Amino acid sequence: MQIFWITLSAALAIAIPALATAWAQSRIGPAAAASLAEKPELSTTVIVMLAIPETMSILGFVVAMFIMLRAGG
Amino acid sequence: MRRIRVMGPRPELERALRVLQDLGSVHLASPPRMPALNPSPATRREQRLVRQLRTLVADAEMACALLSVPAATHLAPIPEPLPWSAWARQARRLRRSAEETRDRRQRLEEERALLAKYREMLDAFSALFEAGHIPASVRAYHIILRPGQSAVVEPLRQALTEALDSAFELRTRTLSSGETALLLLVPLERTARVERLLAESGVQEVPLPAGYERGTAAEALPRMRLRLEALPPLIDEVESERKARAATATSLLPPMLSAAQDALSRLEAGGLAASTRSAFVIEGWVPVPDLAALRAAVRERIGPAITVEELPPGTNPDAPVVLQNPRLFRPFQLLVEMMPLPTYGSIDPTPFVAVFFPVFFGLMLGDVGYGLVLLGMGILLHHRSRPETPLRAVGQIAVICSVFTILFGILFGELFGDLGRRLFGLHPLVLDREEPKDIVSFLVLCVGIGGVHVLLGLVLGVLNALHGHRKQALGRGLSAVMILLIVVALLASVRLLPGQLLTPAVIILLIAFPVLVVVEGIVAPVELLATLGNILSYARIMALGTASVMLAVVANRLAGAMGSVVVGAIFALLFHLVNFALGLFSPTVHALRLHYVEFFGRFYSPGGVRYRPFTHWRTH
Repeated sequence: MQIFWITLSAALAIAIPALATAWAQSRIGPAAAASLAEKPELSTTVIVMLAIPETMSILGFVVAMFIMLRAGG
Repeated sequence: MRRIRVMGPRPELERALRVLQDLGSVHLASPPRMPALNPSPATRREQRLVRQLRTLVADAEMACALLSVPAATHLAPIPEPLPWSAWARQARRLRRSAEETRDRRQRLEEERALLAKYREMLDAFSALFEAGHIPASVRAYHIILRPGQSAVVEPLRQALTEALDSAFELRTRTLSSGETALLLLVPLERTARVERLLAESGVQEVPLPAGYERGTAAEALPRMRLRLEALPPLIDEVESERKARAATATSLLPPMLSAAQDALSRLEAGGLAASTRSAFVIEGWVPVPDLAALRAAVRERIGPAITVEELPPGTNPDAPVVLQNPRLFRPFQLLVEMMPLPTYGSIDPTPFVAVFFPVFFGLMLGDVGYGLVLLGMGILLHHRSRPETPLRAVGQIAVICSVFTILFGILFGELFGDLGRRLFGLHPLVLDREEPKDIVSFLVLCVGIGGVHVLLGLVLGVLNALHGHRKQALGRGLSAVMILLIVVALLASVRLLPGQLLTPAVIILLIAFPVLVVVEGIVAPVELLATLGNILSYARIMALGTASVMLAVVANRLAGAMGSVVVGAIFALLFHLVNFALGLFSPTVHALRLHYVEFFGRFYSPGGVRYRPFTHWRTH
């Protein structure tokens, strides 16, 4: 039973930030596409903007990994 | 850069601009604001000339494009005065004739494509036409169905049977394009009903091409064949005509275009000059090594009438910026130039990007196999690209990153994931990214590198601010010290550093904190927390690196789990290909992000004006 909760916690630790990232990127994407249509030179800024919310997923991944490691892999 | 002022008698402005254009080292600046100096508006004659030159340039460029004439880069000077009006007429004539040739060729090509399509359809039923099986009392309908439309044939046949009984003939053939050709023969008196049925079925008769409508398909077919045979020589003739025109234009258009572009930029540069009734003043920026050559050229070509004055160096807010780095670092200027340029006199981050970007990339991808593939791609790109182009820089960056990828691959003992271990007995030298205990060490390493990177950014921020904002420099320096103390306190608390360091570190932190608030304001604590967050952000290196190795391992294991060796190998190859594509994209984007957000955010001051010397027109 404990394994179930550990696995669920790890899954939620990555799933919730991943959903948040997806939501954030879904808002950035159309705005970025509209900006690029007018100013193609903003492509780098757009890529960086899209990469910013990924921090949540990455940190979620780190937390999930720690949960799994603390529970013995 | 040095700010210079060129002054002289007003009639000499044109000659002075020519000298500056020939030298190609002066970045012209806005007109100086001084009493008695007025901007030099263009005269009516100059305005007319600008319009004429713009039309000439548009005509010449279009003619060059249509005739495939390359615009030359190095041309011998043409003696003055230049016959602009005659050139404009010539360029217009060349453009019109080039457009006429292009249109004629297009018409012939279209006719050929159309006739080829008809011929194929008529050929399919030629036996019927040529044998004279179609009596005059019968109407023939030619129909072409698109590839997905052939399902209508059977319903149409049924409808025709119901309407005409058996008084019709419907033949179908599949054409090479995938379309279906239909030939429908019906008695003349039933055509009205048939046309209604065709409309209901959603198919339309294809009328014979223009010029062939009169007469039957049997009569049109031989004429079409003859015309199709005649078309290629006609197209060749038009092409020869184009080549002949291009040969004539090659000696005319490039010098015309080049001279017109140069004259246009001189006229535009003249607008930047300010003048009194008798004198002109023009200002600009010149790199220090080019200053002596500028003075010498002006003295030699115009004489003492023109003076070049060096203005005192001030804060230079509008000085143009040019990034200059050693050859090894130069490709990474591409990554810095993707951001707005740094202001003049601030720190150029290219050397730091050149050091840290490949390290981050290598740490994330870290695989000998992927590194070798990337090396191959980088070398290929290097050889296929022209010097001084962004593509060449990308190739060079790829080669440097691949070296670090291979290096870290050796340290992590990875070759296409765990394939190297299984096949060649490769072993990790430093870290095993598949081992849970080493994953934590990898995380600590990445955050540690992040700490060094961010602290370096803070130190550079201090150096940048020292030039003007002493208080800001003090604040950034204090932030750097506090970050260092926080790290020391954390490490001491977990016994990675001697425990005696904890108390002094905390005491200094408590003293430094109010000082920081006084110096930097109330936002200072937020900034400090953001900086700590930025350091933690480097955990992405570990996350992406672990994800990359895990995907490679999964690819290898899935391959082993397949029943067949061939299917397994293909599956593994595809999986590795996907992983490699991800492994190129994600580390690049995230390494860039770590630089642009976490590192540059500490010191970078964007807003520099790109150095664009006033020079001759060049094509690339």
